[in-house]
Amino acid sequence: MTILICLFGFFLNAQTQMPNVSLNDLEGKKISITNDFNEKDKIYVFSFWATWCTPCINELDEMNDVLEDWKKELNLEVIAVATDDSRTQKRIKPLVNGKGWEYKILLDSNQDLKRALSIVNIPYTVVVKNGVIVHIQNGYVPGSESELYQKLKSL
Amino acid sequence: MNKKIFLGFLLVAFNVFSQEKGVFSGGFETNAQWYLNDPDFLDEFYNPVSHPENPLRSNSYLLLNYKIKNWSFGIQGESYLQDALLNYNPKYEKVNVGTYFAQYKNEKIDVTAGYFYEQFGSGLLLRTWEDRALGINNSLRGIRFIYKPTNYFTLKTLYGQQRTGFDVSKGKIFGADFELGLSDVLKIENSDLTIGFNTVGRYEKTDIANPNFDNLTMTYGGRVNYSHNSFYVSSEFDYKSKDAVVQVRNQIDNNLIKSGNALLFNMGYSKKGFGVDGTFRRLENMSFYSERLAKGNQYNDMILNYVPSLTKQHHYNLANIYVYQAQPNVIINDQSLVKAGEIGGQIDLFYNFKKGSKIGGKYGTKVAVNYSQYHGLAGTFYIYSPQDYSTEFLSFGKKYFSDANLEITKKWNEKWQTVFTYINQYYNKKFVEETYGEVKTNIIGAEAIYKFNPTHSVRTQAEHMWANSDKKNWAALLAEFNFGTKYTIYASDLYNYGNDDEKLRHHYFSVGNSFRYKSTRLSLAYGRQRGGLVCVGGVCRYVPESTGFSFSINTSF
Repeated sequence: MTILICLFGFFLNAQTQMPNVSLNDLEGKKISITNDFNEKDKIYVFSFWATWCTPCINELDEMNDVLEDWKKELNLEVIAVATDDSRTQKRIKPLVNGKGWEYKILLDSNQDLKRALSIVNIPYTVVVKNGVIVHIQNGYVPGSESELYQKLKSL
Repeated sequence: MNKKIFLGFLLVAFNVFSQEKGVFSGGFETNAQWYLNDPDFLDEFYNPVSHPENPLRSNSYLLLNYKIKNWSFGIQGESYLQDALLNYNPKYEKVNVGTYFAQYKNEKIDVTAGYFYEQFGSGLLLRTWEDRALGINNSLRGIRFIYKPTNYFTLKTLYGQQRTGFDVSKGKIFGADFELGLSDVLKIENSDLTIGFNTVGRYEKTDIANPNFDNLTMTYGGRVNYSHNSFYVSSEFDYKSKDAVVQVRNQIDNNLIKSGNALLFNMGYSKKGFGVDGTFRRLENMSFYSERLAKGNQYNDMILNYVPSLTKQHHYNLANIYVYQAQPNVIINDQSLVKAGEIGGQIDLFYNFKKGSKIGGKYGTKVAVNYSQYHGLAGTFYIYSPQDYSTEFLSFGKKYFSDANLEITKKWNEKWQTVFTYINQYYNKKFVEETYGEVKTNIIGAEAIYKFNPTHSVRTQAEHMWANSDKKNWAALLAEFNFGTKYTIYASDLYNYGNDDEKLRHHYFSVGNSFRYKSTRLSLAYGRQRGGLVCVGGVCRYVPESTGFSFSINTSF
């Protein structure tokens, strides 16, 4: 434990990158988190959710309504990372279509990406630009999406 | 010893790569409880809730990762002080290193040594994962090799022993899984066809004299996924070789040697604004642990496969009192309570009434309907020596559970949004919990969110449950105020006003607040914990009733 605490010191100045994990999309294609989202200066918003998480769904519903407006101002893509395990995973596709969401959906079935980013609670939003994590939003309450937009504009 | 070798290795790695620029990351989480005495809060034997020895307890986790080029190293320290929270596995004690790993990964090859998490197919034969809320960390310690020569072919092989507390299982686990994207191989356009096969073996030398079973238990699984435009279908079949059944805790039944199997089938259709999905599952004698005697332990210790209940996971408090748990086990000790598995399924329907339509209104109206029903397996059961059973493939036995529910979400204007839910449940307590009784419930829930301004809002939730037996009727209220996006306070109460026993008509109140900033979340609450099952993803942990303060913090960096 002492060694761990010593190591802890190294971490404070970390400029964190996304972990090198590949996840399936809804069509069964393998997508690499580091290599497939690396367009220069493009903002990637990774929103972690699950079909059973009501605040997550509220957030994605709200963002879906304003996404077109956001895209007029910013070069950005929202990726909804479903952390559902095999219990609820089959519900993702009909729910996403039923809601008419336009996000890229990734399946983090055994929570490899969630674990690598030390995410405890969802909703959880990670903003990546040029391969570096530039902003994190832990949780969602009504209004978080407009605050997030202000933040994205400042990047 | 292993830990020291690993730390040595880590330090060597730092030196070797010291010219390169590596990246650190990690996370920290603490969940603490201060348990108090509560003289008015009686259990079913009229004993007041009293705090345990060491009333101040916490579970903490510190995860550190270091990544450089194609290498990653990680270590997780854990502390349980003074003890682990109530009803966590007592093997989690004091401060220790929980997991560690070293990984090399490039486009084609991924090798991990140390502790790793893995899932084959749907997890019915192998899933190792971490769920801190349930005290599950069943990662394997050993070595895993993943080979991905092309985008459509993946081969995984692994060997290890499973984590139990700060030790590993005696049972040794090995396995292989391969997945092939047939539609890519055959160059089929507009469709996706994937097949997969896997095998998992468990070798555990038994202490039993003259065993009628092998030390080695083998499992095999096959799966197929197909999707074309808006339509998709998938299926998985798994088989577990003959092994001694464990019916009673800590008792290997040398005279009941049975194989197990599972069948999963799913299909659905979805297009914009509409989705329908159906799942069927049959399980027979499908519990699988890295040690035979671990079966049925209340901490989910050494669980090797993932057998979730395929029902809707409700977010209403009262809908989580009678929660179904999957029934993969065999019990034939009592004529009136025989089980060999389960059979059943669920259907989901999602529909979005468009904006501007009559029902949709200005912002659209979303409807979700779900129905699930599960039964025991029908068959012939021989209770007395020799014990045995045989099941019929597609016939339904005793009804265990059903749940019909409807949810309507409507946004009225920029300020108001409401959700209305109706749930009807049947819960066969005798068979699901192996106690007695059956319960029928009707639950209504209503939720409203009102925005005062762009960042200040209030959420209220009211619920009522009519139950015809057990603890009878309940009512619940919750109010949550969001002051900006960083700070939230809440108060809630669950009131079991309909309990036949006046002394047990408890209020389960809770007040708390949470603060969020970037990747950090802090929360503090005071209240009563309802005794019963806390379930995440259909896997449950029993918690006793308690009163006290809880504090948690989590962050990542």
